[in-house]
Amino acid sequence: MELLFQFLSNTGYYLADYRHVIMIVIGSLFLYLGTAKHYEPLLLIPIGFGILVGNVPFFKGFGLGIYESNSVLHYLYFGVVTGLYPSIVFLGLGAMTDFSSLLARPVLMLLGAAAQMGIFFTLIGALALGFLPKEAGSIAIIGGADGPTSIFLTAKLAPHLIGPIAIAAYSYMALIPVIQPPIMRLLTTRKERLIRMSELREVSKKERVVFPAVGVLLCCFLAPASIPLLGTFFFGNFLKECGATDRLAQTARTAIIDTATILLGLTVGASTQGDVFLTGKSVSIFLLGAVAFSIATASGVIFAKIMNLFLKEKINPLLGAAGVSAVPGSAREVHLVGQSEDPENYLLMHAMACNSSGVIGSAICAGILWSFLVGL
Amino acid sequence: MYGLQAIAACNGWAMAFVGALIVFSGLVVLSLVISQLHKVLTFFEKKPVDFQQDRETPTVEQPEDKPGLLLPKQFPSDINEIVRLYKPLVEALGETFYLSKLYEILRKNNFPHPHITLTALRESEILIPDGDGVFTWNPPTEHDDNEKVEG
Repeated sequence: MELLFQFLSNTGYYLADYRHVIMIVIGSLFLYLGTAKHYEPLLLIPIGFGILVGNVPFFKGFGLGIYESNSVLHYLYFGVVTGLYPSIVFLGLGAMTDFSSLLARPVLMLLGAAAQMGIFFTLIGALALGFLPKEAGSIAIIGGADGPTSIFLTAKLAPHLIGPIAIAAYSYMALIPVIQPPIMRLLTTRKERLIRMSELREVSKKERVVFPAVGVLLCCFLAPASIPLLGTFFFGNFLKECGATDRLAQTARTAIIDTATILLGLTVGASTQGDVFLTGKSVSIFLLGAVAFSIATASGVIFAKIMNLFLKEKINPLLGAAGVSAVPGSAREVHLVGQSEDPENYLLMHAMACNSSGVIGSAICAGILWSFLVGL
Repeated sequence: MYGLQAIAACNGWAMAFVGALIVFSGLVVLSLVISQLHKVLTFFEKKPVDFQQDRETPTVEQPEDKPGLLLPKQFPSDINEIVRLYKPLVEALGETFYLSKLYEILRKNNFPHPHITLTALRESEILIPDGDGVFTWNPPTEHDDNEKVEG
């Protein structure tokens, strides 16, 4: 009988407290959103299931939890804390990305730059709220709306915040259809939303092949700390475009990125153990993340309107919202908002140009923040 | 420490301003470079084509060296003067030639409005179709005499 009581006292049912329950509810919500609503299912389902796994209560010291050395989850988590998984995800992203629209209309890259302003506004906001500089930098990068970049920078600067920051970043990416359209509509007139973009010129294969080589050199010479992200990103794109490595490109954009995404999502989810996740800091991070994402969207839209003051051929300011690097969610949302005003207005390809420049921009921002803050 | 004091203590204003400036300037430079990329590639693509053409038409390889091919600052509107300028190029092509070949050479040597000029030469029956898409050069006799005098 004593053995039975001893066993029962070691079970999760006995050890659970309200924090585990809250986290399990959040994990279940992620699974629901991913499965039933199809909100970013490739991200929310691994993270959601990871939250369930990570919040099963257990006796500390058994080598079971993600924060206990020698546990299986801890080994898998190694790829997160070292920035390995984000780099691999970027390799796959590069192998998926088509830069044709950006090459056809390079001016749209400025919108990708403008949307990064959310990062720097949030940096100031986080510092004002009393976060340490490294923590503030990690929170600010949520404004880039790029999950792997957020995880990468946080792993380098404030590893103890990986859980809340990753969850916040991915949550806001999943909530793009809820967050971005009201901001877009608020900041633009109907006349502006009706602006049609001219057809993009045809981009030669040689341009597409040369671009990743030029891009990696220009960006990484400017911010060498972004090499782990942009190096693999442009490498993946070169594999795709050069035409001699189709097999490698195919593997990078399927098996490799899928494996990294599964392990990244599962371990990030498992890192949200209730006792380390449910703190006042996490709530602040979620609030600041929402602010960062909103400012990023607004910055892009406002900058597009400013550009229109100088451009002969006006651009649709909705495209500014796609300057955040949530690929392809924000581009899709811009297209849908444009079509809700004019069903024959096709903004998707133009928005993808802004989107892909946003990926580059946020990775450069991560490199800049890392180099600014690593010594503090 | 909170608020403006915390921002100033962590050098937050400078970090935000310089960071934004760097990312913006970086992407501006990248966009400028890629906006010129197709022009640069076109420039490099043209080189080998020209080289191949030069080998096929060795007599017009260095037109600047020949006094007859030096283009005047104001291209003449007089057909006789045009004939004089075109003659060395046409002779290099042989007795019969394709009009497209002559057109390419004219463009390569920066002759202005080659298409219009070729049309004028055809209408003046200086360029005469010889069947099968080839043409012959039939300049008026007085032009030859002028050429001899000038030469």
